[in-house]
Amino acid sequence: MKQLHILVYIKQVPDTEGPPDAFKVNQEAKRVVPVGIPPVINPFDESALEGAMRIKDRHGAKVTVISMGEKLAQPVLRKALAAGSDDLILLEDPLFKDLDSNSTAYVLSSIIRKVEPYDIILTGRQAGDWDFGVTGLLMAEMLQIPCINLVRKVEIRDNGRVRVEKLSHNRCEVVEAPMPVLITASSELGELRYTSIRALKAVGMKPLKIYNAEDLGLDLRKLKVRQIVKLFTPYNRRQCRFIEGESSQEKGENLAVSLKKEGVI
Amino acid sequence: MDRMTREHGRVLVLGEREGKEIASITFELLGVGRKLAGDLNGTLCAAISGNQITDVSKEIAHFADEVYPLDHPLLASFHADLYTIAFEQLCRNVNPDIVLMGHTLDNLSLAPRLAYKMGAQVITDCIDLAIEPGTGHLLCTKPVYGAKIVSIFKLEKKPYMATLRPKAVEPVGPGSVRGKVIHFDPIVDESAIKVELIEIIKEESVSLDKAEAIVAGGRGIKNTEGVNQLKELINALRRYFSTVELGASRPLVDAGLVPSSRQVGLTGEKVAPELYIAVGISGSLQHLTGMSGSKTIIAINTNPKAYIFEVADYGVIGSYEEVVPAFKRKLEDL
Repeated sequence: MKQLHILVYIKQVPDTEGPPDAFKVNQEAKRVVPVGIPPVINPFDESALEGAMRIKDRHGAKVTVISMGEKLAQPVLRKALAAGSDDLILLEDPLFKDLDSNSTAYVLSSIIRKVEPYDIILTGRQAGDWDFGVTGLLMAEMLQIPCINLVRKVEIRDNGRVRVEKLSHNRCEVVEAPMPVLITASSELGELRYTSIRALKAVGMKPLKIYNAEDLGLDLRKLKVRQIVKLFTPYNRRQCRFIEGESSQEKGENLAVSLKKEGVI
Repeated sequence: MDRMTREHGRVLVLGEREGKEIASITFELLGVGRKLAGDLNGTLCAAISGNQITDVSKEIAHFADEVYPLDHPLLASFHADLYTIAFEQLCRNVNPDIVLMGHTLDNLSLAPRLAYKMGAQVITDCIDLAIEPGTGHLLCTKPVYGAKIVSIFKLEKKPYMATLRPKAVEPVGPGSVRGKVIHFDPIVDESAIKVELIEIIKEESVSLDKAEAIVAGGRGIKNTEGVNQLKELINALRRYFSTVELGASRPLVDAGLVPSSRQVGLTGEKVAPELYIAVGISGSLQHLTGMSGSKTIIAINTNPKAYIFEVADYGVIGSYEEVVPAFKRKLEDL
């Protein structure tokens, strides 16, 4: 079998594990502004990258990582190289600011011509910022290739097909598809392998390929920004009553007593 | 139907089944769909797919003005490739202004593909939908940034498409409509199947969303012994609630201690039981998204600063290994 070429799409997002009050709303610009939160690779995309690395470990493969944004943090994205991918391509242009999902998928698929041929596209099931979960599937539609969503395990079969385990309601489906195929990774696939400081340093100077809208030959009329009417902070806080007690055990007992007294149970 | 000859809007709900039953999300979709159809002074249509679904279709006709059963052996159970084709055919026939579906695991694979085929945008995981006065555009309210922020998106190009988060809205009221069941034959065949089903691995079948009470564990639960302590608490709670289930936040699932079918949160189940007990859960917004609508929330955590206490009604600061067994014993003794 010829060497596999795997494309992994990753997105830079603010670390959504950060404290809630670090996310401010700029109402005028209709943007969410993270304050004091470092950018990270979207965790689901990290799982996708891990999936690619496991295929590379087993079968050998060239792994090309692609990321798009108006302004990308190279040191953050270089982690993908440190984890073992071969190439990092950035699609960077101020025009890529605040694009809607369809436009994003359009830009992301436009790089394909420059990296063909490919066998597998891997990306995360959704991104931790807007949580849409549609971009990967839209790309598959645009590229007219099969797609498998919410995957926790990927295998390459001898007959040149992929066999994957995908999540479904109360079950897991084992499915097969021919390549090229697009696969979205769920967190169940696993976390991205550890990347040492040394490995990060080693890839720190590796040249990256950077393309803007013009390089990609995009039809700019197809770039549409997302239409947001309003952004706000949800108010779902409650008044918490802390259960007192001399010891943890006593607190546990008092909890039961309070619940009974107040009719919760 | 010719769009030009029509004055009023059409809302199409893509219903779901669980076996021979109508899934609860369908009633929630019908509730929102009815509201939107009312605002448009229009018609509420509903579709349901499967094999031999006459009874289900008739039942849905109590809630929708027009019901379209997509009855075909190949549609017996969900397959993204086939369902996309069948629903695209239906959409072209019904010509809806709005298409609504549940934000369920299956539809995550269907919604973007159907939207692409219809030349539409889809806003996923909405918790509210409304017609913008004046313009008639669809406003879609959706939590973003791991639910730290809520965003209202506007769709301006028809058909407007959205997926609705389960348990986000009230289900439709008692069925008093006498809708028409309209025959529609989708043209599907096996050649459309690109992704082939090889095998189904049954996971433990749970209905977290139907439980009256849920005891959920998080990162603080260190091992199987910890999970067993939660199970003992669940047994004790069965004196008070008819259905009590074990839940989990993502770290516990990713650690392999609890199956993913029990995960509560943004990428898991959305639940709203009478009582939710969060044990060793810090309260990431990913998790809160799935349970903040619970009637009463109890948090047990060693860290007094854990965010979960912000959304809890009762808080216990302490180690679950001590709090939970004592709580359980007292529940049994009361």
